[in-house]
Amino acid sequence: MNATGIPLKEPAVSAAAGDMEQLERAYIDASTRVPVLMFYTSAIAWLILGTLLAGFVSWKLHSPDLLGDISFLTWGRVRPAHMNVMVYGWASMAGMGTAIWLMARLCRTTLRFPLLLVAGAAFWNVGVLIGVGAILLGDSTGFQWLEFPRYVSVILFIAYTLMASWAVLMFRHRRGDQIYITQWYLLGAFLWFPWLYAAGQLMLFVVPVQGVLQSAVGWWYANNLLFLWFGAIALGTAYYMIPKVIGRPVYSYHLATIGFWSYALFSSWTGMTRLVDGPFPAWMITASIAATILTMIPVATVGLNHHMTMQGYFPLMRYSPTLRFTVFGAMSYTVFSVIGVLISLRSIASYVNFTEASIAYSHLGLYAFFTMVIFGSMYYIVPRLVGREWRYASLIKLHFWASAYGVGLMTLMLLAGGFLQGGNLENPALPFNESIETALPYLRGRSLAGILLTVSHFIFAYHFGLMLLGLGRTSTVPTFLNPVEAETSGGH
Amino acid sequence: MKGLAPLFLGIFGTFAFSWIGLTVIPTWQIGNLNPESDEEGTDIYPRPQSGMFERGARVYAANGCVYCHSQQVRADYAADDIERKWGNRRSAPRDYIFDRPVFLGKMRMGQDLANIGARAPAPEESPSPAGAASPAGQGAAVSSPPPPAVAAPSPAAGSPPPKAPTSPAPAAAASPSPATSPAATSSAPSPAPPGQRTGVASPSPVQMANATPGGSSPVAPTAQTPGAPWPIQTAGLPPMYSAAWHHVHLYAPRSINLDSNMPAYRFLYEKRRIAGERSADALQLSGSDAPPEGWEVVPSYDAKCLVAYLMGLNQSHPLKEAKLVGGASAPAASPAPPAQGASPSPAAAGSPVPAKK
Repeated sequence: MNATGIPLKEPAVSAAAGDMEQLERAYIDASTRVPVLMFYTSAIAWLILGTLLAGFVSWKLHSPDLLGDISFLTWGRVRPAHMNVMVYGWASMAGMGTAIWLMARLCRTTLRFPLLLVAGAAFWNVGVLIGVGAILLGDSTGFQWLEFPRYVSVILFIAYTLMASWAVLMFRHRRGDQIYITQWYLLGAFLWFPWLYAAGQLMLFVVPVQGVLQSAVGWWYANNLLFLWFGAIALGTAYYMIPKVIGRPVYSYHLATIGFWSYALFSSWTGMTRLVDGPFPAWMITASIAATILTMIPVATVGLNHHMTMQGYFPLMRYSPTLRFTVFGAMSYTVFSVIGVLISLRSIASYVNFTEASIAYSHLGLYAFFTMVIFGSMYYIVPRLVGREWRYASLIKLHFWASAYGVGLMTLMLLAGGFLQGGNLENPALPFNESIETALPYLRGRSLAGILLTVSHFIFAYHFGLMLLGLGRTSTVPTFLNPVEAETSGGH
Repeated sequence: MKGLAPLFLGIFGTFAFSWIGLTVIPTWQIGNLNPESDEEGTDIYPRPQSGMFERGARVYAANGCVYCHSQQVRADYAADDIERKWGNRRSAPRDYIFDRPVFLGKMRMGQDLANIGARAPAPEESPSPAGAASPAGQGAAVSSPPPPAVAAPSPAAGSPPPKAPTSPAPAAAASPSPATSPAATSSAPSPAPPGQRTGVASPSPVQMANATPGGSSPVAPTAQTPGAPWPIQTAGLPPMYSAAWHHVHLYAPRSINLDSNMPAYRFLYEKRRIAGERSADALQLSGSDAPPEGWEVVPSYDAKCLVAYLMGLNQSHPLKEAKLVGGASAPAASPAPPAQGASPSPAAAGSPVPAKK
């Protein structure tokens, strides 16, 4: 793939522009510049807002009287606001930004009609803004991850149509027969999302299904959003970034095929594991548990594939920010899936089903896996869009460690607290309150982890702001985390 | 991979498989349930709920109660929900057929609420102080559908708390206080309603029936609720899980349970100067939560609906597909609460201990 012989990544625009391929890439990157930067900027703004809301949520859980008398700051409203800002504001916009850039690169075509995307992003932002406002003002629907009222979903849908149409355009104009692994995942994500969103909206609000089925549809939606939308984008991104940065093709195409199809088949069936022992026909839940166990197949194949690709190149994580974030995310995918299997088994789920452990699971998926991969891709893509390199290696390092330790501590705290809480919950000899008391110290620990994440996000936002203002380094050498030895960087 | 067609087909195929499998087929299987009734067709369950209940559900959604409270009782072989007295049988799909949206919940930072209405003291047996002392008696609530009569929260009603007998009301026609409050606090089983009849705000008979226990209980049931699962009932509060209790709990959770981490929902209540008469639905607050002299805290309409909703949550009616644990034929069995510490002993008295796990 990367014929330049540079161990880490090729410079944004080759000074010696003899290389036609380099030049073509530069043109393609330039065509995606405005929309992708717009997606990233909005995403990071949402990330900061969502982080502040998260701090609020976490803190109020153990200090319930903090600003409790203001209706729009009550815990039960701030929490869905936080979730929706992160899911639709941060994760979706950042994921779409990365996906657009990757698609343009992989289709080897310049982005046509960038204004369409800009309009789509603007609509999407307006939709999320109205939706979050509606939640805070008390107009939530009460379905997890679908709290936005119905009028907002219309706005989001229009926005999405605008954004999805470019994918069709790009595919029509793509060059070359080969469809790369990343493109499978991205195409999947972009086709799954509208169906998923439409099905969720229709079956919950337009022609609502009866009784408990609403919960089934709700969790089917939420889990599929996690897997088929965020998960697919993140896996596709990892399949691009890892080989790209180390300059080595993916270890096995065959494994990748197995991984992709088993992922699509099994992970889409996992939704009912959130409802273990609930009032449903047992087969629904059993089928989901079985599917969750079967997701070990894609986990194993994808993990093996990445591992074998990286084999011998792991030391490069010392230098490349992209690689470090992406590999962290890819490894978290394994952890996330294993924890998912663990907490869905009936014997364990009966203890932890109603505890903080499920929050840990969501954060593993959406943060440790998805967000870290997307951070990695941003470190790769943004310099190519603004023509500058990241200014401070120290800030990238701080960002990485604060994020990694933050999310690690958070999931540990929530898992430990959740398991203890669940143990006490299932011990009727103890008063109910005991189960909460047990979890409280861990919830305080989670707040500490939240401070780390807040620091990391502010650092990243600041650094990104510098890049946006053109204050990055002018250099043809990318910013490495640690000084690269003479023999590797000497070539250019 | 070459060629778009297999890719597209596969992407659609896998998704369609999941969509049909997990949403369409279940809809076909349990998506058209009807209420169940006995042979005569009289005892129908579940029934559609009142308008206040529906609105209360929206308040419940708007304020995110579902993020801490579940509404599902798991079977006794799977979990300990029934032993915790959160219900007398497992929840079944049929329990929820009129619920929209459904709040099954995914978190228990707070108690399960599937039967919170069933755990309220039953109105008809409450005049006797002992009756109010069996809040956990789900059995007793079976025969009492919880519609509007209970829903209209008329908690503290005519009896001002003992510590504020000097309700000002200089202009009011008939100032009630000194005469009535002693009567109320002395826990006379049926204090003469006429005594409380005052001027404009005369409560309806129905309200009276409810008001009486609300007024009389603060003193009485304290000692008689040892089996109460949580929290330990303290003096000066309405009987646990009654409408009046819910209002106090929503307004000041930590006045009832010091360790609670439930947010206070004060924005659902209005603190206002008492104009003439203390209103019938003013909250019975004590300590630092109590409004200053001459002020009162009254629930907004949303708060009343929310409490009506909570009082309406009741899955104690037997269903064919979900047997009562212990087979207690509900109305007959007197659920004599076990008289020992805070830990509820298994199931209702006299029922065979269910095989657990």
